[in-house]
Amino acid sequence: MGTLSAILVDAAAFSAWLFLVAVGLTLVFGVLRLLNIAHGAFYSVGAYVGVYAIGASVSIGWGTALQLGAAAVAAIAAGALIGVLAERCVLTRLYGHPEPLVLIATYALFLVLDDLTKMVWGGQSLYATQPRDNLGQISIGGLQYPVYDIALIAVSLMVALAVWYTLNRTRIGHCVTAVVVDSEISAAMGINVGRIKLGTFTVGAALGALAGALTAPKIAVSSGMGVEVIVIAFAVVVVGGLGSISGAVLGAVIIGLARSVTVHLIPEVEVFSVYLVMAGVLAVRPFGLLPPARARRI
Amino acid sequence: MSRRRVDWTTVALIAIAIVATLSASAVPNWIRYLGQQAVSTALASVGVMVLLRAGLLSFGQGLFYFVGGFAVALLNRYAAISDAFVIVVVSAASAGLMAAALGAFLAGYRGIFFSMLTLAVSMVMFGIAIKVRLFGGSDGLNIGLMSYFGYRPRGSEGQWFSFVFCIWTWTAFAIATNIFLGSRFGRLVQAVADNELRVEFLGYSVKKVVYVAYVVAGILAGVGGAMAGLSARHVDAQFAYWTTAGDFIFVVLLSGQASVISPAVGAFALEALRSYASALFPDQWQSVFGGIMLAIVLFLPAGLDRLAVLAWRRAQNLRFRRGRLSAQESRL
Repeated sequence: MGTLSAILVDAAAFSAWLFLVAVGLTLVFGVLRLLNIAHGAFYSVGAYVGVYAIGASVSIGWGTALQLGAAAVAAIAAGALIGVLAERCVLTRLYGHPEPLVLIATYALFLVLDDLTKMVWGGQSLYATQPRDNLGQISIGGLQYPVYDIALIAVSLMVALAVWYTLNRTRIGHCVTAVVVDSEISAAMGINVGRIKLGTFTVGAALGALAGALTAPKIAVSSGMGVEVIVIAFAVVVVGGLGSISGAVLGAVIIGLARSVTVHLIPEVEVFSVYLVMAGVLAVRPFGLLPPARARRI
Repeated sequence: MSRRRVDWTTVALIAIAIVATLSASAVPNWIRYLGQQAVSTALASVGVMVLLRAGLLSFGQGLFYFVGGFAVALLNRYAAISDAFVIVVVSAASAGLMAAALGAFLAGYRGIFFSMLTLAVSMVMFGIAIKVRLFGGSDGLNIGLMSYFGYRPRGSEGQWFSFVFCIWTWTAFAIATNIFLGSRFGRLVQAVADNELRVEFLGYSVKKVVYVAYVVAGILAGVGGAMAGLSARHVDAQFAYWTTAGDFIFVVLLSGQASVISPAVGAFALEALRSYASALFPDQWQSVFGGIMLAIVLFLPAGLDRLAVLAWRRAQNLRFRRGRLSAQESRL
C-alpha cells in the first residue's frame, strides 16, 4: 500500500514537472511548426536566473513566497527577452526553409545560449534550496514529501489551465488557433501572422524559463543540463502528439507514471523507461496519442 | 557520345591521397595528426551528408562513431588483434550491424522524429557507456600499436603508417560512397527528400531507401570512429555524446553537400579551429561553433562548396560558349 501511494505521488510530481518543461515546446511546435532545440537553453537560463533571483531575495530578507515570485518573474522576463531576440534575429528569416536547416539553427542557438550561461554564471554548480527547505515536509500515506514538490503539481495544473483558457476562450487564442490551422487564410482574414508567431515563440520561451526557475530549488543548477531536458520534453510531446496541449498533459502523465513505476519496482531500467515508452507509443501510433489533424502531403 | 565521362570526384580523391602520402614525411607530426582527426570526422560526416540528402538530420551518428572506436579498443584488448585492416573491417561490420538493427525501427520516421529518436538512442548508449566497466567508464580505453599485414612499425614510422592508412581508408570509403550515390539506388536517396509519394509510385520502397542510407551512414561513422580511435590510441564514452554528432552536422553544414570530398574540407577546418580554439578562446568554443553555424544557416545555407560549384559551372559555361562561338565562326 505504501509503495502504491509512493508511486502515485512521485508520478504526479514528476508528471507536473514534465508538463511544465514540455508545454512551451509543444506550443511553439504547434504554431511555428519547428522543433525548438533551444528550449533546453531557455530552461537552463531560467534556472540560473531563478537561482540568482532567489539568492538576491534571500539576502534582502524576503519571505519564501516573495523569493519564488521573484524567481518566476525574473525567469519569465529573461526567457521572453531572449525569445523575442531569437525569433526576430534568427527564426523569422527561416520560415519556409527546409526542416533540417531550421533544426540546425535552433541547435546552434542552443549551443550559443548554453555557452552564454556558462560565461555569465561560471562552470560550477549553483544551489538555491532555501524556498524548498523553508516550505518543509508533508506526510502522505506515511511517507514524507517536500511541500514544494507537491505545490508544483498545483502550479503545473494552473499553467495548463491558463494555456487552455488563453487558447480556447480569448480572442488572441482564437487567432493563434487560426494560424495553426492555416496561416495563409488567417493572414487573408487580417490576422498579423508574424506577430502571432513572435508572440507564441516568446510565450514558449518564457514558459521554458519558468520551468527552469521552478526546478532550480530542487536541483544543482549546472551547465549542460539543457540537453537532457530537451530530449525528455520531446519524448513527452511526442507521446502525446506534437503541437497538442492536451497531448502534452497526457504524455506527461504517462511518462511520469512509467518512470515512477520503474523507479520503485524495477530500478535497473529507470534510465530507459522514458525512451521505452516513447518507442512503444511511436511504434503503435507514429504521430502520438492525441495528434492534431493534419493534411496529407502529396 | 559513347565516351565514358571521367568521374572527377574519384580522380580528385585518389590525387589527394597520393599527394598526402608523398608529402607525409615532410610535414610535422601535429599536422599529420590533425589530418587523421580530420579524415575520421570527414568520413562520419559523409554519412551525415548521405542522410541529409534524404532530408534526414541525424543527431545520433556519434553512436556509430562510438561503436567503431570501441570495436577497435575491445578487439585490441581482449582478442589481441592489432592488424589495422582487420580492425577496420570489423568496426565497419559492427557499426553496420548496429545500424541495421536500429534502422529497422528508425527508417519509418522522418523529420524531427528521426532527428530526436537518433539523439535519444545515442544518449541511451552514452548513459550505458559511462557506467559499464567493459567500456572503461568515463576514462575510456587505451589502444595499443597497430600492425599492417604482420608488420608493426614503431615510433615515428608508426605515426607515418597510421597517417597513410587513415588517408587511404578515407579515400576508399569515400569512393565507395560516391559510387553508391551515383548508382540508380543512390539517386533515390535524393528523390526521397524531394517527394516520397512519387518515389513510391515509381515502384521503389521509400523505407528501404532510408534504411539503406541509414546503414551506409552507420558504416561510415563506424569506420570514422575506428580511425579516430587508432589515431589517438584512445577511445572514451565521449564518442557517443551528442556533441560528437553535432560536430558532424557542423562539418556538413559548413562544407555543403555537393560531393563526398566536401566534408573533408569542413572537417579539416573544424579540427584546425578546435586546435586553435584552446589558445584563442578556451571558454567560448560553443558560442563560436554555434555562431558559425547560425551565420551559415542564415547567409549561405547551401554550404561553402556551393561557391566552388558555381565557379565550376561558370567555367564550363564559358568553355561551352567559346566552343559555340568558334563553331559559328568556322561556318561563316
